[in-house]
Amino acid sequence: MSETLRARLYHVVLWIVSLIFFSPVAWIILSSFKTRSDILATPPKLIFTPTLDNYVDLFVNNRGFLLQLGNSIILSVTAVVIAVFVSFLAAFCFSRFKPKGTDFLMFLLLSIRMLPGPAVILPVYLMYVAFGWKDNHLAMILFYAMFSIPFSVWILKGFLDGVSTRFDETGRVNGGSWLHIIFRVVLPQVKPGLIAAFIFNIIFVWNEFLFNFIIGGVSTQNIPYALAVGAYSDGGLNWTFISALTSIYILPPVLFIYFFQKYLLVGMTFGTVRGEV
Amino acid sequence: MASIVIENLTKTFGTFTAIKQMNATFADGQVTCLLGPSGCGKTTLMRMIVGLEKPTSGRILFDDRDMANLPPRKRNVGMVFQYPVMYQTLSVEENLALPLEQDKSLSSAERARRIDEVLDVLDMRDKRKLFIGDLDAGSRQKVAVGRAVARRSDIVLFDEPTTNVEVHAKLLLIRAFKLVTQRLRQTIVYVTHDQTEAMTLADNVALMKDGKILQYDTPSALYETPATEFAGWFLGNPGMNFPPAELSGATVKTPLSSLPLTASATGLPKGDYRIGVRPEHVDVLVAPRPGSVPAVVRDMNVTIAGRFIVTLDVGGATVKAKTNGRPPVAVGAPAHIGIDPAHVSLYRDGVRVADVTGHAA
Repeated sequence: MSETLRARLYHVVLWIVSLIFFSPVAWIILSSFKTRSDILATPPKLIFTPTLDNYVDLFVNNRGFLLQLGNSIILSVTAVVIAVFVSFLAAFCFSRFKPKGTDFLMFLLLSIRMLPGPAVILPVYLMYVAFGWKDNHLAMILFYAMFSIPFSVWILKGFLDGVSTRFDETGRVNGGSWLHIIFRVVLPQVKPGLIAAFIFNIIFVWNEFLFNFIIGGVSTQNIPYALAVGAYSDGGLNWTFISALTSIYILPPVLFIYFFQKYLLVGMTFGTVRGEV
Repeated sequence: MASIVIENLTKTFGTFTAIKQMNATFADGQVTCLLGPSGCGKTTLMRMIVGLEKPTSGRILFDDRDMANLPPRKRNVGMVFQYPVMYQTLSVEENLALPLEQDKSLSSAERARRIDEVLDVLDMRDKRKLFIGDLDAGSRQKVAVGRAVARRSDIVLFDEPTTNVEVHAKLLLIRAFKLVTQRLRQTIVYVTHDQTEAMTLADNVALMKDGKILQYDTPSALYETPATEFAGWFLGNPGMNFPPAELSGATVKTPLSSLPLTASATGLPKGDYRIGVRPEHVDVLVAPRPGSVPAVVRDMNVTIAGRFIVTLDVGGATVKAKTNGRPPVAVGAPAHIGIDPAHVSLYRDGVRVADVTGHAA
């Protein structure tokens, strides 16, 4: 078999695999432009008359939708910005001052992230009820930030370890304060790490359902909550609602990943693969 | 301006002691070179002076101001590192301006004047708008030197700034460095393991080994009369010869001289006595002269400036001699060597104990 034929065969296989993986996404996006009967038609209708009714329904008739979309954006962006800022400072300390037991602390941090959510849901719920924090935006933001910090510290420490302390030292002997070193000298060099941490965590918070459902409430409900709660209506699955909401729901992460995909690689390798960015 | 006073300074890293009970004063307005082999504590000492490391015990004072617990930016010390770190995206003059901007007491006119002055001294006026990325390693290091001196700090430290610079640029850098130091009269401490550099630049050289200063002296004194065998061996290329010697009273006997020598001191205790003589003070002769001894030429190599290094066997000892021009002898052939007593010192157990004043009567 010649090299070119072999390469072509690979490409064909790769395309088929990709299309198979993409087909559910394609189905839900196409469905969002179909009527209810078209969605459930057998055999599936590939040729159909697109309609925007589902979206009109969502934006005009569904009063909860804009609140849920707004909550999803506010909760995820604010929580992750806080988390990345705190993590950056924490990672800087771990990387530069190496307090006793750094390795153990780093392990503890990551173990928080290894913990499955349902394992902590009960104590967290009781705590939030006792504090009167249920259904409160700030409380939700703090919770998500707390959950995002460990992973961000890990990513950013990898990046900060890669920035030579020569930069710090040169800055310090030339009259720079620590704040100057941290934000003006070091921070610009770990921008890829900051972006990677930001993307990873925003995807986590964007997809978060369990905690929003349990410790959130009417005013803090996000899109996953809306999907879960609104899926059933009139004694069946509300496919038009699900497909339209899902299509909107997947759009921001897809755009994010499309524009920042090169940072995802460095994020997955904790900043150890360099030169890619 | 300030002198640097080091009092009982010790620094340990775990079980390793980098600096041991050091006491020294680096004089105000002078260039002091810290010279020594790798790992002798030179860089650690510098980092403690600038404030990047904390001493384990002891004090560092600038004049009479104790520097303990002062962060680097409050110490008013400039430093040039082995690897220049600069903002790649800023031009030469912007890089020079950065530390000055940290000093809010300077007017912008004063800042501009200082940058001009530094660019003049470094002979880099035409490169002021270039970006750091466009410069070679030597020029980058020059900018680093400029950045350290532009602040007019009392003290400027240099940590092997020429190590990563190629030879020609190194000479330019050293010349620029000399000009700068002559103009600004700051107190300068310069770390190097290159003895030529130390000899060229220094007012005083502090020779270090194993966390201690062995000798603090002018370059010529350090070279002519090294206080220890280590100093004699470390300086010079090749280092000093240390053939064995026997002492009785003030009379020194050595295989290098057929006539006994006279030491300047008497009543010295027993010990391992050696004489120290620089290779350039060992004469390689065809015919004997008073005091000379026969020797066999074992090896001969040409070195810089048409000099030759001759290795000879003399009565069980091996001696190196340095001659101007090709010596009149051949490898394997017998020859004679003579030493000049005026350039010979007497060492006991590795330490210089006496001069040699001449041949004994």
